[in-house]
Amino acid sequence: MKKVDFRTDILPLKNKLYRLALRITLDSAEAEDIVQETMIRVWNKRDTLSELDSVEAFCLTVCRNLAIDRHDKKEAQNVELQEELHDRPDHSTPLDDLVQDERMQIVKQLFDQLPVNYREVMQLRDIEGKTYKEISTILGMTEEQVKVNLFRARQRIRDKFKEIENYGL
Amino acid sequence: MDYKYIEQLLDRYFLCQTSLEEEEILRSFFRQEEIPAQLLPYRDLFRYEKAAQKQELGEDFDAKVLAMVNQPVVKARRVRLSERFRPFMKAAALVAIVLTIGNAAQQSFSKKTDPIVRPSVVYTETEPHADVASDGISKVDSIAQPEVQEVVTPD
Repeated sequence: MKKVDFRTDILPLKNKLYRLALRITLDSAEAEDIVQETMIRVWNKRDTLSELDSVEAFCLTVCRNLAIDRHDKKEAQNVELQEELHDRPDHSTPLDDLVQDERMQIVKQLFDQLPVNYREVMQLRDIEGKTYKEISTILGMTEEQVKVNLFRARQRIRDKFKEIENYGL
Repeated sequence: MDYKYIEQLLDRYFLCQTSLEEEEILRSFFRQEEIPAQLLPYRDLFRYEKAAQKQELGEDFDAKVLAMVNQPVVKARRVRLSERFRPFMKAAALVAIVLTIGNAAQQSFSKKTDPIVRPSVVYTETEPHADVASDGISKVDSIAQPEVQEVVTPD
């Protein structure tokens, strides 16, 4: 494989990495920080990158691990996390500009309320359009486990939609 | 219109039996304006999935991360105290040289300009010569100007 170039091989992944980090941390500033750290870490290992099958998958793995790490730390840090989560829709993130729509905000909240292992798998499959194999590589789990998590995540979303439909908001 | 295919796809979607292409068909379908009532509840889900793909980082991020990556790696280096102060010593030495040269120049200039600087010295030194010169001039003047004698002629 040819030598890895930062501008052409790593930098264009910024949005995918950002979306994944944001899905896990639910904080745009932190997500940006994670992307930056991911890129620098990957770039420092550039000599070994040519041995990899996919630089993208590797970047996503590094990004996901960093994001999970920070998310866990944050969760362990305070009891007020739940409160913080409820406040979140008021904070403006770049996505909020895209989905000003109140209905979109509701779906976003449904996504945000999912456990982190469901959120990440839905992000990679339904938003990034990755195959089960790719997701299993990124997340370091079997394809079966990916499917189980995705199934549970989608079922939970479906239940929530049914709740909304039956009882309103 | 028959929406059986879409309904079937939707069921399979929730059972994780759809392929990536089929999931894309669902997203495209829910992007249309006219959605039958029974499918309407799921419209927002697929619209959101589509909208969330456009979430991006700005250009300023590129500049920031490029600047960080292009920077040479800075490594910690042990520096001895004498090495640490070497630039100051250099500066001090330079100042000393400039002062020495400046002082020397000042002295040589002040010697040359001394008489001019102190007019009193000039006066006392030149006064006797000036007196002699002045006497000489007055003597010459008296010789050069003969006395005009008034001649009174009788009528």
